[in-house]
Amino acid sequence: MRKLNFRMATVLFAFGVLALSATVSTEVRAQAPAVDPAATQILKRMTDYLGSLKQFSVHTQNTLEDELASGHRVDFEISASVIVSRPNKLRAERKGDVIDQIFYYDGKTLTLYNPSDRVYATEPAPGTIEGMLDFARASLGLDIPSGDLVYRNAFQLLMQDVTLAAVVGKTFIGGGKCDHLLFSRPGVDFQVWVADSGQPLPRKYVVTDTGIPRRLSISTVMSDWKVAPAVADAQFTFVPPQGAKGIIFMRLK
Amino acid sequence: MKAILKIAVVAIVLVLMLIADVPLLPVQLVPEAHAIFGVRRRSFVVGASMGAAEATAAQRSQAPPPQQPAPAAPPPAAPPPAAPPAAAPPAPAPPAATAGKPLPLGTVVSALPAGCTSTPVGGVEYYYCGGNFYRAAFQGNQLVYVTAQPK
Repeated sequence: MRKLNFRMATVLFAFGVLALSATVSTEVRAQAPAVDPAATQILKRMTDYLGSLKQFSVHTQNTLEDELASGHRVDFEISASVIVSRPNKLRAERKGDVIDQIFYYDGKTLTLYNPSDRVYATEPAPGTIEGMLDFARASLGLDIPSGDLVYRNAFQLLMQDVTLAAVVGKTFIGGGKCDHLLFSRPGVDFQVWVADSGQPLPRKYVVTDTGIPRRLSISTVMSDWKVAPAVADAQFTFVPPQGAKGIIFMRLK
Repeated sequence: MKAILKIAVVAIVLVLMLIADVPLLPVQLVPEAHAIFGVRRRSFVVGASMGAAEATAAQRSQAPPPQQPAPAAPPPAAPPPAAPPAAAPPAPAPPAATAGKPLPLGTVVSALPAGCTSTPVGGVEYYYCGGNFYRAAFQGNQLVYVTAQPK
């Protein structure tokens, strides 16, 4: 009788171990690289289309999730608009409770103007948008709204180190039907909503920092897409308003 | 004796199964263990990238200063919608400038101390207070003030 009990104990224990290992292995499988070509195809169609545009403008509404020291969630809103004229002109404006800036790039120089403090700084810049974006990031630590989508090789940049790509489903944003895509790379999850008919334009994207327990996100809703906006050179050239003071950029080491 | 043994075995089995089912326990595989470190910096980068974040990023990074010296973050492998070694760690809070004790040149603060007076010197606006001259500058997208020697 005692023997039987031991046998039973062993069997039950084995069951337990089995249950454990089964669960773990499902998790492992769930985390294995899974890049759905359907998702990357939609992303590529979107980036190829954006890359093919000579000019475009878009309005974005950005929500930055944050947490107060007290532990309460708080969001910061930023309204931005970007005008791009390839190959060498870009203008971006941002307004929010934590920022007020206009960025100008006219093919020769870039300028950051802060209207609320009435200060600006100007630097000579490379002759193409891509070169300018690289320079602004690497040398000045400057970022431009939606800058990544402006790169002609945006697809490669977005797909770098991606371990998961999936089509979540379809939904509506601003009344338009969109494909909802999810991508993951170490430390970052990002979701993109792309219009499913007509021009494959992005309607929204969300970037989530998966490396911290709070998992804060930044969401960007894009509206007012214009793929052939009227642009004038003057829009991209900064003329210091009366009373504005010139300051400097601090170079990154 | 038999009963105790049975109960013990069943209990152990239940616990094992539970462990497997509770996703928060350490038994679960950490998906990207290496991400745990690179992250602070990366989140920062992501934040800045999306177009806005400077100020928020500043708040974030100010909160836990000890984490700033993140281990060599990955190369400017731009996070998705975004960017690279974005804005260098924003300025620390003004180190309570004790009057009469000048700060080292090049000290960056995110806001001027109270009571500064501005003076143009050689076409550059300087702000004087607490025994220091400051000049405005953009550090990334962020407006900061740097101690300087008027020329």
